[in-house]
Amino acid sequence: MTAPAVARAAGRGARRPAARQRVDRWAGVVEGYFRLHAALTYAFLFLPIIVVVVLAFNATTKATTVWGGFSLRWFQIALADEVVRDALTNSFWIAIPNAFMATAFGTMAALGLQRVGRRIRLGFDVLTYMSIIVPEIVIALATLILFATSFDAIQSWFGLKLKFGRETIIAAHVLFNTSLVLLLVRARLSGMDRTLVDASADLFATPWRTFRQITWPQLLPAVIAGFLLSFTFSFDDFVITTFVSGPGSSTLPLFIFGQVKRGVTPETNAVATMMLAFTLAMLFVGQLFLGWQARRSGRRAGISIGEMVTDA
Amino acid sequence: MSEDLETTLRRMTETKVNRRGFLYAAGLTGAAAAIAACSTGGGSSPAASTPASAAPATSDVPSSAPSAAAADSFPPAGEIEKELFMYNWSEYISLANIEAFKAKYGVTKFQYDIYDSNDVLLAKLQGGATGYDIAAPTAEYVPGMVEQGFVQKLDKSRLPNLANIDPKFKGLWWDPNDDYQIPKDFGTTGVLYRTTMIPTVPKSWKDFLELIKGPASGKTVFVDSMGDVFVFPLKMLGFSANSVDKAELDQARTVLLDVAPHLLALDSNKYGEKMANGEAALSLGWTGVLTQDMADTPDKGYVVPSEGSIFWLDTWVLLADAPHPNAAYAFLDFIHTPEIQAEETNYNNYGTPNDKAKPLVDPKVLADPAVFPPDEVFALLEGSKDTSANTQRTDIWEEFKQKLGG
Amino acid sequence: MASSASGVGPRPIGERLRSGLLTTLLLLPAGIWYLVLLVAPLVIIIVFSFGTRAKNGGYAPAFVFDNYVRAFQKPEPFITSLQMATIGTILCLLVGLPLAYYLATRAGRYRGVLILLLVIPFWTSFLIRTYAWLLILGPDAGLAGFLESVTGAEQVQILGTPIAVMIGLVYNYLPLMVFPLYVTLERMDRTLVEASKDLGAGRWGTFRQVTLPIALPGLVTGSILVFIPMMGEYVIPQILGYGRTYLMGNALVTDFLEARNWPSGSARAVFLIVIMIVTLAGYVWFVNRGRKTREVSVL
Repeated sequence: MTAPAVARAAGRGARRPAARQRVDRWAGVVEGYFRLHAALTYAFLFLPIIVVVVLAFNATTKATTVWGGFSLRWFQIALADEVVRDALTNSFWIAIPNAFMATAFGTMAALGLQRVGRRIRLGFDVLTYMSIIVPEIVIALATLILFATSFDAIQSWFGLKLKFGRETIIAAHVLFNTSLVLLLVRARLSGMDRTLVDASADLFATPWRTFRQITWPQLLPAVIAGFLLSFTFSFDDFVITTFVSGPGSSTLPLFIFGQVKRGVTPETNAVATMMLAFTLAMLFVGQLFLGWQARRSGRRAGISIGEMVTDA
Repeated sequence: MSEDLETTLRRMTETKVNRRGFLYAAGLTGAAAAIAACSTGGGSSPAASTPASAAPATSDVPSSAPSAAAADSFPPAGEIEKELFMYNWSEYISLANIEAFKAKYGVTKFQYDIYDSNDVLLAKLQGGATGYDIAAPTAEYVPGMVEQGFVQKLDKSRLPNLANIDPKFKGLWWDPNDDYQIPKDFGTTGVLYRTTMIPTVPKSWKDFLELIKGPASGKTVFVDSMGDVFVFPLKMLGFSANSVDKAELDQARTVLLDVAPHLLALDSNKYGEKMANGEAALSLGWTGVLTQDMADTPDKGYVVPSEGSIFWLDTWVLLADAPHPNAAYAFLDFIHTPEIQAEETNYNNYGTPNDKAKPLVDPKVLADPAVFPPDEVFALLEGSKDTSANTQRTDIWEEFKQKLGG
Repeated sequence: MASSASGVGPRPIGERLRSGLLTTLLLLPAGIWYLVLLVAPLVIIIVFSFGTRAKNGGYAPAFVFDNYVRAFQKPEPFITSLQMATIGTILCLLVGLPLAYYLATRAGRYRGVLILLLVIPFWTSFLIRTYAWLLILGPDAGLAGFLESVTGAEQVQILGTPIAVMIGLVYNYLPLMVFPLYVTLERMDRTLVEASKDLGAGRWGTFRQVTLPIALPGLVTGSILVFIPMMGEYVIPQILGYGRTYLMGNALVTDFLEARNWPSGSARAVFLIVIMIVTLAGYVWFVNRGRKTREVSVL
């Protein structure tokens, strides 16, 4: 029972007047406009990235911004630099658990909020917005104080010595990111086609089955969007991370901001370029893999990462 | 009977989340309020404001000897730990020296974490962050840190190389007995300029003012640092750079608001670059950029204005709950070995307070008056003080920043 | 998601308990996080806001209103932030909405890849991205230098102006606008649009009466997700605006870091939070008024 079939069964399909030939003069123009707008926007988004990548090959020994010739030395330096390696590792091991947790918590909460009364929903909404409204430096400092005092209390009551480190950073990041996912999933849920759900129930599907085959696929784009954004925020965060980190849990942004005082060298550009290359490579490999798998299982080829991300 | 039960259960089910949520929230809020009240987020003495059970360990000196409790006891010398946790400005120790230290004392892990301002360091310490052995605050913040119990008293018998330090950096107001800090390096605040972009070379703060309002209007950058910017009007008017006198600050305010519309930028990180690429002709700043961003600028100049200025001193401190005190002592002594200090200076291009090291420093650096100001210039310099408590200064600073848009 | 949609009478207790349990479990993780890591720190901040600055900075216990008085007397940073955030959000909308629409309805097979490409730039560090803009807009090799050589003007200054700041803001906040719009537009039934046009509504009419209402939850979420953080933003104006504007974020840094006056900073933060909540509530009410079904619930 596919979604389109149910939709038709529930009478949602629009009635199309037969054989109406409307000459839409503007169709081409509008289409062209959207394409141009998208292309320009992506160019805008990637322009600084291109600059960053180009500068990674800068042979200068001092200021990043003066071109001194083509060189790979910064890549060598970056690969050998233990501090950068540690920072990058920390960044990943913080951003990924944070993304999973935030996505899980946020999606669950969005679903849960469908089932409660107005007042609880209102309470939750207030909290969600508060977590976004509170300026970073304020929540960072207050969280530090909370942790520090709690750790002291826990140590004197239970003798258990908790430390600042990756876990405290993850905990702090998950707060904001949960709200992010929550809002995204709820935006998706609101106005979602209830008739599909009702129809499914009428057809005696169990709640779990309804969820799995109707609701979840429709939610998936929002969930994945939430995951991506949560990862991005955590990976790039500076203020909160500065305050709740401990020895050895410096992340890449901390390293880079710290470098600012002495002058940011092309080493950071090299790191960024390598990450970019890695990500694009993974994307490419992932695409190939899915295509190969589809061919192997005999289904129609052409399932792309695109389709995985968007529809089910 | 069963119907009553069912009604009760039904009502329970309906309000279940509500009530539980409320109790949970109430309990947690109460706990949070208690935590807030107990937190020694400031300088109030630990004994007075914290209940016994939740006392943050500020007055206890953790060490390998279990009997140590008083703030004045020194960690006894013992085996040097295999790790050292350093909390410092970015790239502020020569890598060669780090390797040399590790090799000499068998330390395998030299953790180097970064902060980008004294304010962040202090905020973290005041918020309760722990876990580091050594930090490098600027001297004016040391008294406050000592008062709040963030810093251990030093056992000078374990630091023989302290004898190498120039006496003019000892016994200063921030640490009269040199019990808590070891000088690291020093520098000055002054005027940077590009000779080809301005008609006359500034020699005083007055000249500086004329240039800002005249030929260098729209081409001047100040560093984004309250304490340093106030030096300009206060010294120009003949007052102390650390003044907190209401009338004097009022006069300084007039000067600052007067120049604000003429400034190109307020920037501590990129002002060197702006000077180097010609966007700025004049800056109020420090000497570091002269050998970094402006290294290839042929017409650069730096002057400590004739009315006087401040010098800053970065220091090493041993943090109160240092987990590796023996390694820390080893490092603090090691860093003032003459050859090691000379290497630091060659790396950092900031003046070393270590007399024995000076002969070993790269002669070009030694001869640079920006790095090693001659004695007559040094006489013009005041040590900077922590004036962040003064609300009038903060208000003027905010007003100044708001006038920058022009 | 009721288990029996065609409910005959009240559901049995066992099922209701299980249902309640499920709801609780769903809400528990987020709930715990909010209580421990949001409510508790906020209570700390509120308590601080009534205190005084300790001798060496930080918080000293007290109960005074001075900090709030001071916050009310200095509303300028708040107003400046408000102006910047409003314009920034509108610009983000203008750039983001067509893009989201394109991705949701026209991009076809490449949708997923394009969406990933939307976030990939943000996996490079924020700071080096912004520094790259310094180069792009600056003198010498950048846009300003180019304009100087083309127009012969002595000095073209783009950096340090509001334009540079706006470019930086839109650049960094665009995904936050595009994603909510996308996820909402994507589930729009295209046949509705076509039907509307077939029924003579015309392009603009269709947009106003079909597309926009459906996109509304996403639009609201997107503008909130962009506007609110922009109110606290100060780093981009510091770098691209040359520190020439004084915003709420700067004021908080002055209080918390430079002056180390936590009570004053806390009061200003509470002031900001309260105004923002009220504004948000007003915005949401405005969007929801006259709607029969509360499409957007409290959003």
